[in-house]
Parts: sequence; C-alpha cells; structure tokens
Amino acid sequence: MATTATHQPCVRSRMKTWWTILKISLEERFVYRGDFALGTLMRFLPIITQVFLWYAIFAASGKSKIEAYTANGVVAYYMLTMISRAFSSMPGLCNGIALQVRDGEIKKYLIQPIDLLGFLLITRVAHKLCYYAIALIPFAFVFFLCRGFFENGWPDPPILLAYSLSLILGFLLGFFIEACLGLVSFWFLEVTSLVFVYNLLNFFLSGHMFPLDLLPEWAAQFVYLLPFQFLAYFPAAVFLGTIEAGDVWRGLAVETCWLVFFILLARIMLNRGIQRYSGFGG
Amino acid sequence: MAGYRPSYLTVFLTFARNSLVRDMSFRTNFILQCISTISWTVMNIGFYLIVFQYTDSIGKETGWGRNEFFVFLATTWIINSLVQTFFMPNAQQFSELIRSGNLDFALLKPIDTQFVISFPRVDWAALSNLFMGITLLCYSMYQLTTRESDPLVLDWRVLLMYPFYIVCGTIIMYSVMITLASTSVWLGRNQTLYNFWFYITNFSRYPMEIYKVGWGMALWVFFTFIIPVLLVVNIPARIMARPLSTMNSQMWQLAGFAILATLACLVLSRRVFVRALKSYRSASS
Amino acid sequence: MPMALIELHNLQKTYRVYHKKEGLRASIKGLFKRTYKEVQAVKGIDLQVEQGEFVAFLGPNGAGKTTTLKLLSGVIHPTSGTATVMGHTPWHRENDYRRRFALVMGQKNQLWWDLPAQESFRLHQQIYGIEPEAFQQTHDELTDLLGLRDLLSQPVRELSLGERMKMELTAALLHNPEVLFLDEPTIGLDVVAQHNIQQFLKYYQEKRKITILLTSHYMKDVAALCKRVVIIANGQIQYDGSLSGIIDETTNRKLVTLQFADPISDSLLSSLQRFGTLVHLEEPRVTLGVTRDDVPAMLTSILDAHDIDDLIVEEPPLEEVIAEVFARVAETSSTQRDEDGVA
Repeated sequence: MATTATHQPCVRSRMKTWWTILKISLEERFVYRGDFALGTLMRFLPIITQVFLWYAIFAASGKSKIEAYTANGVVAYYMLTMISRAFSSMPGLCNGIALQVRDGEIKKYLIQPIDLLGFLLITRVAHKLCYYAIALIPFAFVFFLCRGFFENGWPDPPILLAYSLSLILGFLLGFFIEACLGLVSFWFLEVTSLVFVYNLLNFFLSGHMFPLDLLPEWAAQFVYLLPFQFLAYFPAAVFLGTIEAGDVWRGLAVETCWLVFFILLARIMLNRGIQRYSGFGG
Repeated sequence: MAGYRPSYLTVFLTFARNSLVRDMSFRTNFILQCISTISWTVMNIGFYLIVFQYTDSIGKETGWGRNEFFVFLATTWIINSLVQTFFMPNAQQFSELIRSGNLDFALLKPIDTQFVISFPRVDWAALSNLFMGITLLCYSMYQLTTRESDPLVLDWRVLLMYPFYIVCGTIIMYSVMITLASTSVWLGRNQTLYNFWFYITNFSRYPMEIYKVGWGMALWVFFTFIIPVLLVVNIPARIMARPLSTMNSQMWQLAGFAILATLACLVLSRRVFVRALKSYRSASS
Repeated sequence: MPMALIELHNLQKTYRVYHKKEGLRASIKGLFKRTYKEVQAVKGIDLQVEQGEFVAFLGPNGAGKTTTLKLLSGVIHPTSGTATVMGHTPWHRENDYRRRFALVMGQKNQLWWDLPAQESFRLHQQIYGIEPEAFQQTHDELTDLLGLRDLLSQPVRELSLGERMKMELTAALLHNPEVLFLDEPTIGLDVVAQHNIQQFLKYYQEKRKITILLTSHYMKDVAALCKRVVIIANGQIQYDGSLSGIIDETTNRKLVTLQFADPISDSLLSSLQRFGTLVHLEEPRVTLGVTRDDVPAMLTSILDAHDIDDLIVEEPPLEEVIAEVFARVAETSSTQRDEDGVA
C-alpha cells in the first residue's frame, strides 16, 4: 500500500509533464502552418505520377492484371502506402537526435528529469496528431475522389481492426528504428548518410516503391524476413486483402516482436551512449 | 585595389576544394553516401527490370522500350547528380542561413550574393550518381546501336545537343530550387523544401508521353509551360535515345522552347532571390 | 558642412512580427488567421561619426543597437530614413562599399565550422581580391598579435569560444576595412579572453586609425576602449557624448568612503546618514552616496569631529549609472506605450 501511495503522485506529475510537453509541441507545430499546408498538399503529387506510370505500363502490356493487382489495384496500393507512411515515417527524428548529441544539447536530458526517448516519443505523437488533424481533410477528399480505385470497397471489421493495429504498430516500429539510428551518433559524428541509406532501403524494401508481391520469388522470401515491410507494404496489403486472414494475425505477431526488439535496442544504446558521453566529460 | 573584381572561378574552385577537404575529414560518411547513392540507382534499375518483365515499353507505342527508357533513366541521374552535387546542399544551407540569421555574412561579401549562396558547398559524394548515369547511358546506347533489328545510328548533332540540353535542364532545376529556397524568407522554417522539390521534380522522371492521356494533358501543359520540369530530362533523353528523323515538329518546337524556358527560369529565379533578400530580417542568433 | 564618415538621419526600422498567443486553442486559431504586431526596433536615429572615432553603443536588450549595426552594414533595409557610410548607402550593397568595412558578431560565426580557419582566410583573400603579399602581411600581423599562429590548422569546431572569436576578428580584418562594426564581440568570453580582445582592439584602432562602432554589455569593454558613448534605448538615442559626461549628466552623486579609527557607533551611523544614503558598511569602513554639492560640507564637519584613517571620494560605478539611465528610459516608455497603441 505504502509503495502505491508514494507512487501515484509521481505518476500523475509525470503524466502532467508529458501533457505539457505534448501541448507545447502541438503549439510549436501549428505556428509553422505554411510548411504544414504545403507539405500535406505536396504529399499527393507522387501518387499522380504513379497513376500515369502504371496506366502506361498496363496499357503497353495488354494485361488486365499483374500478379494480384489490376491497374486500379496498384493505384489503391500506392494510396494506402501513403497512409502507412503517414504513420511510420519520422522526418527529422534521427538527424534531430544526432544534432542534439553533436551540439551537446543532449545534456539537457541528463540534467532534467525527463526521459529522452519518452520525450521524443511524445513530441512525435504531437507532431503526428497535428499532422493528421490537418491532413485528414485533404486525405479524405483525395480518397473520396479516388474511391473508384478501390474495387473491393471496405474490408470486413476484423480486417479493419487488424489494419488499425498494423498502423499503430507501424508508427511505433518506425519511431524506434529511427531512434536507434539517431543514437548511433554517440559513436559516429555524422549520421546523415546512415539516415540516407536507411531511407533508401526503406523506400525499396518497405514496398513504398512498388508492391512487394511483384518481386521475384527468391527476393520476396528474403524481403518478408525484414522489418521494413511493416512500414508500408503490410498495412496496405492487409487493407486490400491480398494477405490471407490467418497470415494477417501472424504478421502482426512478427511485427510486435520486431517492435520489442527495437525498443530494447534503443534503451541499451541510449544507456551505453550516455555512459560514453559522460565519460568524455561532455 | 578599388574596382578589383574577384575571380569567380578561383572562388568557386576554393569552394570546391574546401568542400573536398571537409568531405575527406568525414571519410566514413563520404563512403557511406557514395554507397547509398549507388544503391539507389541499383534499386531503380531493379524496379524497372521488374516492370519490364511485365511489359515491353512504358506506354503504348511511345517508343520507350527497355533500352530507350534506360537512356532516359541515365539522363535523369546525370542531371540529378549535377543538381545534387552543386546546388542541393547550398539550397538547403540557404534556408538554414535565413532561419538562423547567418545570411548576414553572405550579404557582407563584395561578391554577387546569389553566387556566394549558390556554390559554397560541393557535395562530392553525389557525383557517384553521375558516374552511374554515364555508365548506364553507355551501356544502353551500346545496346541500342548494336541491336540486330534497326540499330540506332548516332548522329554528330546529337552528341552536341545532348550535353547542351543537359546543361539547360540543370539550370532549370537550379532555378526551381533556388526559388523554393528563397521562399524560406516568407514562410519561416522551411522543412518542406526538400519534399516540395522532390515532388515537383518527380514529374520530370518519366517520359512525358505517359501524361498525354485524359486530364493528364493539364499536367503536361503545366509542367511543360508553367514550371517546365518536364522538359528537363525529356528533351535530351528523347534526342539521344531515338533517331532524330523520328522527332516530329512538336518535339522540335519543344526543344526550341526549352532554351527559352531555361533563360526565363534563370531570370525569374534571380528576381525572386533579390526580392527575398530585401525581405530578409536577420534573426539574432 | 563636410559630411561625417558615418551619417544617419531619422533612420527607422519596423518589423512585422507574427503575434503568437498563449495556449493551444489560440495556436490553432493562428492557423487560419494571424495577427501581426508592428515592432519598431529603431525609431528615428540621427548620428554622425567622424573618421577615427571609437564609439560604443550601449542599451538594454532589444534596444535597437544590433539593428542599427545591421542597417549600417546593409544586411537589412530600413523602413525610412537615410544613412551614408563613407559616401555609400549601406543597403545598396555596392561591392565598393562592402570591400571597405567589416562586421563581427559575437553570436554568429562565418568561418567554416569543419575546416581549419586558414582555409576560410584563404577564401576571404579570393572573395575580397586581396593581393597575395598584402594578404600575407596582414595575416601574419593579425595572427601574431592575437597569438593564433599554432591554431590555424585546427578545425574551427575544435577551438574554444575565445579562440574562435579571435579567428573571426582576424577574418574580418584581413581586407583592411576602414570601418569596423562589432556586435557584442566579447559575449560569453572569460575575463582573460575579454581582456586580450580589448587590448587588441585598442592597439589596432590606434595604429590604423580606423573607425569602430561597438555594442557591448560589458562596461569594461566600453570604459577601456571608447571615448564616445551612445546610449540607445527604446529605439532612440538617449545620450550621445563622453563616458564621463554620462556620469555628470545622470547622477549628481559621489561615493564617499570613510575609514574610521574608532569603532562605528549607532549614533555615528545615524548622524552620517544626514549627509547621504548608506551604501555599504563594513567596519571600520562606511560608504555613503552623497550629493555632489554636499560633499565639501560633509567632509569638513566629519573631519572635524572624528578620527579618520582613510578617505576616498569617487564616481559611482559605470554599471550603476547606466542602469539608472536604462531604468529612467523604461519608465518614460511604459507611460508612452499606452498612448502608442498596437497596430
């Protein structure tokens, strides 16, 4: 009893701190609305080129279906990867951490009673919430306009649930992978190129570039073993129903394992990094 | 000493040299960057190899078969690498200078401000893309000129026009980029610069024929005449990849227009830049 | 009337800043409709500086000192008014002008962060078109004076703040500018580095007879270097004259310190306070603030009645006087603000 009594105010005050952080970063986000509006609008442009590219490919091939996809299906797939990426991409996170380490700003977290990863996660949630709040309208609008591409309509409720889960897990997985990359900066001075490599691999291996089903068998086998597919391909494929129901739940389980792995990795890296950092005398 | 004009070439060479010294002091980073650039090109080829498994050409009767399209792709890389080597790091730096107020120093220098903003950094690692582009270009040109049915005959005029239009394309890209970067003065923090740039140039990465269906015509007109990024790769690639004799009059007109567009872009971006400087407020630290 | 080297007439600069309101709700509202606020950073400054002067700009934060320097170096455009420096209008940014002055800012750096300062110097040589021999000579002289010889090949990011500032100064002086603007050149430096830079500036200015405008928070900088002081507060010039003049003008107080031979009794203390206010008491010394005119009368009466071991009459410290001026300005401006209204 005694422990819970002393514990509760602590938790509450911590929640309060985090709520304050969330609020402040939301405010900060809204101030730069010019960026925001442009950013959201621009996000749809690549889809347009993809539509034209794939229609040209389908037109020239004379086929109505390439693997599991019709021309409309491919477009629907790309649109869904936009949603996946809206959850799993973490612009600036990795470089932000690296910059803080480099400039010594990281000391702030060593002094203040705030957990670095927790703080970053909260600001990221704020960032994302804010993004969704603004992006929801243009997203809904574009999806409504493009509803014709979704030939199968809405999936069943359990699949829809799995889909939502896969998005949330995708967000967390994306966050912790990039956090790990950012923490590498304790050892390497500049991690920009590492981020670049990651983004490249991510673009290709997550299925953002094209549906992973199009890969030749041997390559597909390998790519499905990696965590990247959960950042774009997996949620989209779940929604479109190109993955069978049983495989969906197994996929989610595998994704959870990856998530746990990266959470632990980030923790270990942060602890080691800080030890190293204070060893240098900052 | 009065009236002395600095030698822009010497200054540029020093910029390039300093950048190289800097890049070399972060060697691991440099190598990683080269590797990632090269893997990006490999992924691109991988993607299109997959695509060409399912079709013979991009678009029906457009003439962009596998090898022709690879010439197109190589051209994209060549222009991109030039932009990324010489301009991209500077445009990003420019936005940052505006935000932090460090643009002050550039404004103090007795040398053209646009010059001193556009060139101080050279991203040598991005040149690896140029290397990949030229390799792919040579390979696909070899394939095209030695294929059994109807081999491509290289015209000497093509060899002159191709580099000329590469330069034009690079200038157009530069103008769009510096214009975008200048907007940071009004928009404040401009994180989306890179995205915006990526999304706009994204249209330039494909043969323009694919847009010429249905409402895509509107896009075609917009990105040919308003923001002429469609001309950037299409004109040189078209000239290189297929016989000049198959260029129709519209294509020739576009090629002529591309020169005009290059000049217009350059002039316009200069004006935006100058206006941006006037609105610069110089943040304190 | 011959033109002064630097002339400002009714120079004004107004910024339009986005007025951010507190709270989340207001921020969301700010997405759709923004309110702007006009901030007058500089509200009409008139100033003449002659060749060879070393002038200090003093003022509280946000008073408009830095803005004035930025206007003079052509980094920003004024809202209205005129300025000429060596016959040029700064914000036209003619190359002829830009070759003749330099700006050093304690808060910003222009040297390439990851490269040795030497490389940035060489770049300067080319940009400013400095002849190799002249460059070498100035370069050697400056690096010797500032004791930088051994640091030239180290990347700038590895230098200490003081060393970096010295490098910045060197870079700025390589082209032998005739006018130098210094914005907080000693900010954040330790006492030794501060002193070094002061000594250097003093020596350099006397030797080259260049014109220097300096802003600083450190009164020591000002006292060591500048004969002329311009106090800017609230975007306007509040005082322009000699350093000692400020003291005469703003305060008629002297500090009188007395060291008594005997212990100071309470009755003595209260009788002393008839002459002035008690500033400091540390047995056997007592310091009083006394109106200037009262000093002789006070001294005669005390010297008559008591045994005095030591006696000092001095001006109050500069910091205090300046703070007094600032406080006075703040008072008048706060009464003014209500009348100004906010656009």
